[in-house]
Amino acid sequence: MIELTIDGKRVQARKGEHLLAIARREGVEIPTLCHHEAVEPSGACRMCMVEVTRPDWEGWSKLVTACNFPAEEDLIVRTRTDKVMQTRKEILELLIARTPGSQLIAEMAREYGLDHPTLTVGELSEKCILCDICTRVCQNLVTGAISRINRGVEKEVNTPFAEVSDVCIGCLACAKSCPTDAIEFKQVGLERTIWGRTFDLVPCTQCGAPTLPKEQAEWLSERTGMKVEEYFVCVKCKAAQTARTYENIAW
Amino acid sequence: MEKKLLHVYPQRCTACRNCEIACSFAHPIDGKAGVARIKAFGDKEGRVGHNQIVVCMQCEDAACVSACPANALWRNPDTGAIYLLEERCIRCHSCVAACPFGNMRPQADEFPSKCDVCGGDPACVKFCPANALEYK
Ligand code: SF4
Ligand code: FES
Repeated sequence: MIELTIDGKRVQARKGEHLLAIARREGVEIPTLCHHEAVEPSGACRMCMVEVTRPDWEGWSKLVTACNFPAEEDLIVRTRTDKVMQTRKEILELLIARTPGSQLIAEMAREYGLDHPTLTVGELSEKCILCDICTRVCQNLVTGAISRINRGVEKEVNTPFAEVSDVCIGCLACAKSCPTDAIEFKQVGLERTIWGRTFDLVPCTQCGAPTLPKEQAEWLSERTGMKVEEYFVCVKCKAAQTARTYENIAW
Repeated sequence: MEKKLLHVYPQRCTACRNCEIACSFAHPIDGKAGVARIKAFGDKEGRVGHNQIVVCMQCEDAACVSACPANALWRNPDTGAIYLLEERCIRCHSCVAACPFGNMRPQADEFPSKCDVCGGDPACVKFCPANALEYK
């Protein structure tokens, strides 16, 4: 265990623990955009900037990203200095210029006093802040169907060569974990479309309601050893089946 | 210390579904009632003592836990119940597909929901007028 200071409060932590985790445990709020507990931090969005110094730094301080900065003994962390607030504001100014379509960014920007953003470079509908949550989630936890493609201003998240992916299993984890809802998908009846590919949702073997794409069931089956068909019963029918099983058990 | 368990006594259940309502309100989404994690099934023929209560059994070797790619399902060391750590969940709904008993329930754009025995003070138990649920 080590001791450090966050906003004037002495706190304990494990050496190397990330500042964001410590701050959250202590109830200190730090805004984040690219942070997701399920994947390693990447330091992509810069919203979590805090100012750190040490007693032996003779007054010098530096800005670091709290999400991936490791704690060390006697570190002094300040989360709301003028420098921090100004930096976050500038980051939001750039983000809002890139993503005029994102409500979340607009709201955060307003919180930092940016009521009338002056700069717009992105398309008006653009929402993606390139935080990489979706790509980290897909690559580390699912099948690795999407990544960042192209460079510079052309950079975007997509399938390789923006072609229809045969690796994607249609689980929607990318879309659902996106902080700005930038990933579009559509689900109508037994069809789900994402990244340009339409998946057939297998109808429940008992009532016909949509369950999940066959591709996701196969992927799950490989990981868990359950039979693919076992996934093709909807929740309602599974619960009803459980009730019937109970009924048949002699008490 | 022995861990408490949620006991169900379907013989006593009147299928009034108070437990479902209590559960919904104990797990709200944006201030509105959430999806109930417990379900009372009234007997089709209305026979007394034949209703059924379906709720997570907190399986030892749980299908939801092994299906989750994000390690978002954890066993609470205090209650022994499995709960969903929302910060880790990527909402792939694999757990919903995996639970063979229908006890992991989807909620449209939200995190799936499952019984977490309310962290050790289950609301359903308190609201069951027929004493068909006990936590002991
Ligand atoms: S929906 Fe969440 S808890 Fe369920 S399997 Fe996916 S990541 Fe795990
Ligand atoms: S949350 Fe730390 S850089 Fe995005």
